[in-house]
Amino acid sequence: MNIRCARPNDLMNMQHCNLLCLPENYQMKYYFYHGLSWPQLSYVAEDDKGRIVGYVLAKMEEDSEDNPHGHITSLAVKRSYRRLGLAQKLMEQAARAMVECFQAKYVSLHVRKSNRAALNLYMNTLHFTISEIEPKYYADGEDAYAMRRELKSFEESKSDNNSVTATENNGITTASAVNVNTNAFLSN
Amino acid sequence: MPSSNPLPPKENSLFKRILRCYEHKQYKNGLKFAKQILSNPKYAEHGETLAMKGLTLNCLGRKEEAYEYVRRGLRNDLKSHVCWHVYGLLQRSDKKYDEAIKCYRNALKWEKDNIQILRDLSLLQVQMRDLEGYRDTRYHLFMLRPTQRVSWIGFAMAYHLLEDYETALNILETFRKTQVPSSGYDFEHSEFLLYQNMVIRESGAFEDALKHLQTNKDQIYDKVTSQETFGCLYLKLGMYEDAKNEFNKLLERNPENIDYYYKLHDAENLRTDQEKYEMICKYRTKFPRALMPRRMILNYVSGELFRSEIDDYMRRGFHKGIPPLFVDLKSLYKDKEKVKIIEDLLQSYLVALKTTGCFSLNRYIIIVLIFEIIFLAKEEKQPASAILWVYYYMAQHYDFLKNTPKALEFIDTAINHTPTLIELFIIKGQIYKHAGDVIEAYKWIDEAQALDTADRYINYKCAKYMLRANLLKEAEEICSKFTREGVSAMENLNEMQCIWFQTECALAYQRLEKWGEALKKCHEIDRHFSEIIEDQFDFHTYCMRKMTLRSYVGLLRLEDVLRSHPFYFRAAQCAIQVYLRLYDRPLSDIDTQQQLNTANMARICKKKKESKNDRVRLPDICTKSRYYCCYLDEDSFSRWSRCTRRPDLWCIALFACN
Repeated sequence: MNIRCARPNDLMNMQHCNLLCLPENYQMKYYFYHGLSWPQLSYVAEDDKGRIVGYVLAKMEEDSEDNPHGHITSLAVKRSYRRLGLAQKLMEQAARAMVECFQAKYVSLHVRKSNRAALNLYMNTLHFTISEIEPKYYADGEDAYAMRRELKSFEESKSDNNSVTATENNGITTASAVNVNTNAFLSN
Repeated sequence: MPSSNPLPPKENSLFKRILRCYEHKQYKNGLKFAKQILSNPKYAEHGETLAMKGLTLNCLGRKEEAYEYVRRGLRNDLKSHVCWHVYGLLQRSDKKYDEAIKCYRNALKWEKDNIQILRDLSLLQVQMRDLEGYRDTRYHLFMLRPTQRVSWIGFAMAYHLLEDYETALNILETFRKTQVPSSGYDFEHSEFLLYQNMVIRESGAFEDALKHLQTNKDQIYDKVTSQETFGCLYLKLGMYEDAKNEFNKLLERNPENIDYYYKLHDAENLRTDQEKYEMICKYRTKFPRALMPRRMILNYVSGELFRSEIDDYMRRGFHKGIPPLFVDLKSLYKDKEKVKIIEDLLQSYLVALKTTGCFSLNRYIIIVLIFEIIFLAKEEKQPASAILWVYYYMAQHYDFLKNTPKALEFIDTAINHTPTLIELFIIKGQIYKHAGDVIEAYKWIDEAQALDTADRYINYKCAKYMLRANLLKEAEEICSKFTREGVSAMENLNEMQCIWFQTECALAYQRLEKWGEALKKCHEIDRHFSEIIEDQFDFHTYCMRKMTLRSYVGLLRLEDVLRSHPFYFRAAQCAIQVYLRLYDRPLSDIDTQQQLNTANMARICKKKKESKNDRVRLPDICTKSRYYCCYLDEDSFSRWSRCTRRPDLWCIALFACN
């Protein structure tokens, strides 16, 4: 599957993919908000007909100027395309862009407590750690783990110009379900 | 120009408070102050106060009164820019942009340098793509506020959108020179430079673009875009070594990007498949963990070489148990020879796995070449799951070749082997779907869905298959497992712009000849597209501030052709077919009555009910289907009429179009 940075044209198809895969959905405007605020951070995986089979929708948290960090709004891979390591590859690209373009120190995300597969991916493959538990984070009342990953390794690679390609590819069970509150945005 | 009816100081200060209340959304207070002015008989007909009262009422949702007051205010003070501006804002809030533009223009007649009105006007102009008007307004704003960054950007943007690159570039470059280069990190400046470079490229001046990029590259933080742009410019300018260098760097970062490999083909001027194969092989060795080069190789080889390459590829997939192996390889099935080779190999795996537990009958076939010494290696025993994945693959293979009995045979064998694997049930459903048995198809997907109710993807498949079987109620119920509680699933899915669901519903209703319901769904989809066009509005100001101008231009271009999206095509096609069906065979009174009695009638049907004539009339159908037709170009039309096998519809549709 082809992995590349998302363009404005992709946003509608990302919304479609999200609606197929995840319970947390957003209106188009929220995708536009991501794509037009941080065009470098969202990535898509597409099949040979250009259909989106997975994506990562990412942003920068704007509240902390002295400690800039990224946030994964949503990550999904269609069930029929799992075990190709796509989620991991998408996440690596997004993380690197966060460091290069926005000097992010770390990246955060939320995951459902019950989503074992996703938790496993984040902890074991993508080196996230649980930073706290957010009670009743999801609309249905489920708790979320707030997770973080330090991005220092990307900074180093930037200076010595080495490649950061995908790390382990040990048959991960790709999974899904991350979410943020759809905050009001575009406030003047 | 002051109002023709100026207020004395006391009332004037009250009036200013109304404005402040409006800005701070304190509408109730605003109304109070308006009342204080208007209760004075001397000022009971004061135009600007009446207008502001109307605008405030509008924010409280009292639309009819709002229009009444604003219009009355305007009638009383036709020379007030405030009244005209307010009328414009009111129209804008109702999305009547053309009308709003007229109002702003009138307002500017009486107050030509009012920055706020000019800004509001410019937003509407770009929203409506009145690009020449936009340019004039941005010019005006620029002259009034030449020190503001937004003035420069908006001014240049207007020329860019009009494809007057020379002027756009002059403005951008003059602006850039005024920027003091900051020593540290400056994302906005980085974005500005990339935008400037985009305009240079679009003007066709590739050498200038390259020079610009080289000069400014240290200030650009978006390394991917920077390197991609370098690479493409080098290619355009025939600097192939440099291009190769850039794309190699990009591959280090992302070896899964197919475009980078294609660009390298171009840079190395590779024509034949053999050359491309050799090149990609190098990258397969260089990036052993990347999937893209492995997969690409299969496109460039044939015959025996293909056999040995695909043999490796499939063994790896079956060994590791990669469910998407078939979808990954499906595009190779265009080539009959390749299909044959794949089939032969699959059968040989099957025989071997059954007898030896390996992929080959002769386990000593793997020859490893290290320092030219030949080793005979013994193939390891495959995990027990390997044969399952072969069955799974073969079911999809035969399904694709339309050999339903064989496909079913393999999927059943797989299910017998591992009755708990959900993927198998999905494929079984798919086989039935492809064979045209929508009922059996949905039953199997429903089985899969019951095994994993926490997965939305299966839930989606199940709902879709139910809709294909015209089971609308059941589908909604299944969907409701993933929609918000307290709201009907239908409503929530509409709110979330779930177009696939609404399209499938429309098509199901169409099959059930529930024309009104079908049209209702089509209109809901149409409304999503209107909404998405509406969504642009806030970004006109937002992106200028954020400096994400490349993406902004991308958004404008997307919105320009938004309704060419395949989702729209499907819905429009359904709507047109329904309208034409109603034209061909107008509903009898009884039919209409039945249709009207169904709950949740489409609005058009409601309208019909109100009119005395229950029949759908030709002019009505023409307007409605013209609405959808105007978004479909001729090519789409002919495709559509071909797929409906009704060339006469094509003529009627064209007629509706004119």
